[in-house]
Amino acid sequence: MADKQDVQPGTLALMILRTLEVLGPLHGYGVARRIEETSKQKLQLNYGTLYPALLKLEQEGFIKSAWRQSENNRRAKYYSLTAAGRKRLAQEAREWRRTADLIAAFLAPREEAP
Amino acid sequence: MRWVRLALARLRGLFADDRADQDLREELESHLELETAELMRRGVNAEAARRQALLASGGLTRAVEAVREQRGLPWIENAMADLRYGLRSLRRNPGFTAVVVFTLALGIGATTAIFSVVRGVLLKPLPHREGDRLVYLRQATDGLGGENLLFSVPEVRDLRTGAPAFAGIAEYSPWDAALQGEADVIGLHVGLVTGNFFEVMGLTPVLGRLTRASDDGPGVPPVMVLTHDFWIRRFGADSGIVGRRLLLNGQSVPVIGVLQPAPYFPDQVDGFLNMVFSPHHMSAQMIEGRTHRMTELIGRLAPGASLDEARTEVATIHARLKRGYPEAYDPGANYRIAVVPFKQAIGQRAQLTLGLLIGVAAFILVISAANVTSLTLMRGVRRGHELLVRTALGAGHGRLRRLLLVENFLLALVGALLGLGLAVGGLELLVRLVARYSPRASEIQLDRPVLWFTLGLSVAIALLLSFVASLPRGDSEGALVSAGPNRLTGTPRKQRLQRALVVAQIAVSVVLLAGAGLLTRTMMELSAVSTGLRTEEVLTIPVPLRDAAVATEKAADAAAKERFRRMADEIRGLPGVVDVGIGSSTPLTSSAFSALDVKVEGRALSTGQSVPRAESRTADPDYFRAAGIPLLQGREFTSADRYGSARVVIINQALAGQLFPGESPLDRRIAWTGDVLRFSPFSGEWRTIVGVVGDTHDGGLEAEPPATMYMPFAQELTYLGGLVIRADSNVSALAGAATRIVRDLAPGIPIENVLTVAQLKDRSVAPRRLNAVLVWSFGLLALIIAAVGIAGVLAFSVSTRTNEIGIRMSLGADPTRVQRMILGEGGALLLIGLGLGLPGALFAARAIQGLLFGVAPYDPATFGAVAVLMAAIGIAASWIPALRASRVDPVITMRAQ
Repeated sequence: MADKQDVQPGTLALMILRTLEVLGPLHGYGVARRIEETSKQKLQLNYGTLYPALLKLEQEGFIKSAWRQSENNRRAKYYSLTAAGRKRLAQEAREWRRTADLIAAFLAPREEAP
Repeated sequence: MRWVRLALARLRGLFADDRADQDLREELESHLELETAELMRRGVNAEAARRQALLASGGLTRAVEAVREQRGLPWIENAMADLRYGLRSLRRNPGFTAVVVFTLALGIGATTAIFSVVRGVLLKPLPHREGDRLVYLRQATDGLGGENLLFSVPEVRDLRTGAPAFAGIAEYSPWDAALQGEADVIGLHVGLVTGNFFEVMGLTPVLGRLTRASDDGPGVPPVMVLTHDFWIRRFGADSGIVGRRLLLNGQSVPVIGVLQPAPYFPDQVDGFLNMVFSPHHMSAQMIEGRTHRMTELIGRLAPGASLDEARTEVATIHARLKRGYPEAYDPGANYRIAVVPFKQAIGQRAQLTLGLLIGVAAFILVISAANVTSLTLMRGVRRGHELLVRTALGAGHGRLRRLLLVENFLLALVGALLGLGLAVGGLELLVRLVARYSPRASEIQLDRPVLWFTLGLSVAIALLLSFVASLPRGDSEGALVSAGPNRLTGTPRKQRLQRALVVAQIAVSVVLLAGAGLLTRTMMELSAVSTGLRTEEVLTIPVPLRDAAVATEKAADAAAKERFRRMADEIRGLPGVVDVGIGSSTPLTSSAFSALDVKVEGRALSTGQSVPRAESRTADPDYFRAAGIPLLQGREFTSADRYGSARVVIINQALAGQLFPGESPLDRRIAWTGDVLRFSPFSGEWRTIVGVVGDTHDGGLEAEPPATMYMPFAQELTYLGGLVIRADSNVSALAGAATRIVRDLAPGIPIENVLTVAQLKDRSVAPRRLNAVLVWSFGLLALIIAAVGIAGVLAFSVSTRTNEIGIRMSLGADPTRVQRMILGEGGALLLIGLGLGLPGALFAARAIQGLLFGVAPYDPATFGAVAVLMAAIGIAASWIPALRASRVDPVITMRAQ
């Protein structure tokens, strides 16, 4: 349990959008499982974090939702990416990559020193 | 665009119904089922899987709450919920709510009312253009009637030419006039002013025009400007008033304009006329007499000139005048001129009373805030468990604070509304009180700045109340919740704060009660002062006869005397009348310009000694008997004392003591003297003293009786006048009939202020009574609040110590001992409160010394009585909780554990 950590603010939206892009329409449980697995169980999402984030994305128009039958015949609410969401994801991902490269460069070991 | 969409969605969310919640619950439930199914597939049994899934969810309710916050505008929703909750919880505690609202209403009401007075009288800018550039000039000397001598026309001339620091100096001379209406005659108080008066004052007309330079000097027609107040009172704000002619003292005078509303200064007048209206003001003695001082001066500082420059210039001119005219400035009397800022001159008399009011309001505010804070603290401890449970159920710290804020805002605002009601009700009393001292009382109103002040005050109180209560801290939640409601006793620190608040309430009550006591003693002492008259069954009728002809025509004078004699004769015929006397003025009233210098035959003044002065009055043979003024030595006047016979006078005891200490004044000769005598109707001949009478408090009960010299009515010119009527009982019943007789015989003369001696006396006592009533009512309120405070804090202490008391009793302490313990607790608070309050009261008493009469500010009797009263109330208030403590049943208490 010690190495479990909370989701950093701002990053969750990106993870959700990416998950929906990769896996297609998915219910909340599926999104949570996928994020937890991708993080190798380091991230834990409780409902109080996940569902407000989903709602916010929906309010912003990046995702839409609909009730459907799940694979094992249960009713569940499925979220899917909208066109705006797709654009948003591309943009966010680009920014993140740039930021990550920058930070990585800064934190790199000082081997290039003469 | 994104935020617009977000905002719209959230706004929609605000009105989202239960369907959205239902939808969410279903979604969460499906999540749970999916997770449970997944776990079961991995081999966990159904029950354990469900529990594990729930645990991972982090709490469904919290999740719903979190989503809701994202959905709508949470702060509005929360505020509405808090409001509903606050209202409900206040309704559930009607006692608490009522006490808090009532206490706050008192505090806020008193403070609001008094703030509006202070604002109207002190803070509001003057209506005069650049009012802060105005100054009032006051010439004063030592001795009787010397505090404001006014100025003579030659003095004004000298000041005007030699002082460039003034842009202008305006003259104002108070004068009386009779206005002949269609059906009545009324006396007007008017100001005779120079043409530049309104220009200097910086006032404008609401109708017509004001006086100007062309209205100065002789040979111009008299004109009148009405004050705003008189225009409304007498003419019903008739907009066609300009150009109308009024019959004033027999002259037809046109109204040229109506002045804007402005504070009365130097005194309350009905209108202003140019100087030409009064033949006296055009006479040589007025214009050339250096000691003929009848004019008030108001100056406007020149642009760039400072008050100090003006003062220096005035002092230089005055010094030159004193050197140049030694006969006009008695070196022994210390002539001086003060240059006072106008605002200060206007506010001077109200200062003490305003100070008293501000002090009282501040105290009431402190005491009510202390009481409410203490109540809130107690309630906070009682509901501590409720707040804890709410925290445990997921309410954030901020949310709890908000809840308290909403509740306290509700309390403070309801309190403020009630307080405003109280302020409106009490304002009339305050305005009446202040009107006695300040010409600006009419400017007092509950206007917008005052309302802002009230709102600010309520918000401040609400904030204070919300932040004194401490909220449960997150880390101790668990332990506290499991401890249960009975273990919550509040920290010792908090109980200390509550006790300190109660002590403050006691101390403040003591200060207020001591003030009330001293003011009551003042009132009693003042009522006990003997007027100098033997009886109160005396009616006085001033008859302000102003016939300039009496001075020059013997026939006019004889006719005037005959008129007074007929009035007296006819009134004597009324049933119940015992005596009727005639004199130049009625007793217990002071008259302006009547003090004159006196000399004694065969006695020279040493240089530097100030000249003795006395009031000049005339009296007929019946005057002293009718007024009830006792004859102490010699004889009264007789009908033989008249024109042609030897000149005689009767002096009062004060003058006798001043002129002839330790010797008999009878048969000594004295005379009027001094420069001002020329302007009086009396001569400087030697007069033989034939009698000495008792003193009368003509200048008000609190003032020393003035030295007075009475001359025979029949031996002097008839100028002004008054009747004194004594009846065997119920003299006030005669007022109507007597007034009718006088009016019939003196048409054209305003007959007003027909008062009994008891009423005259009350004119001195009434303002003191108003002071005392005001401070008493606040003092008693403070006492009640303090009593509630003591009882409350002890009751609370008892309720938190029920266990301890139960244990003590089961160990053998008897009820009396427990009762004593609680009483002792109250007694300690009381002692500390008294210990702080009594010195505070001494301090406060010294501050209001100027309002006291006949009682020392440290009056031991008052202070003792206040201490006893406070102690009695305090002990009575402690008794109820003490009794409750002694009735604690140890068995029940112990079992409750």
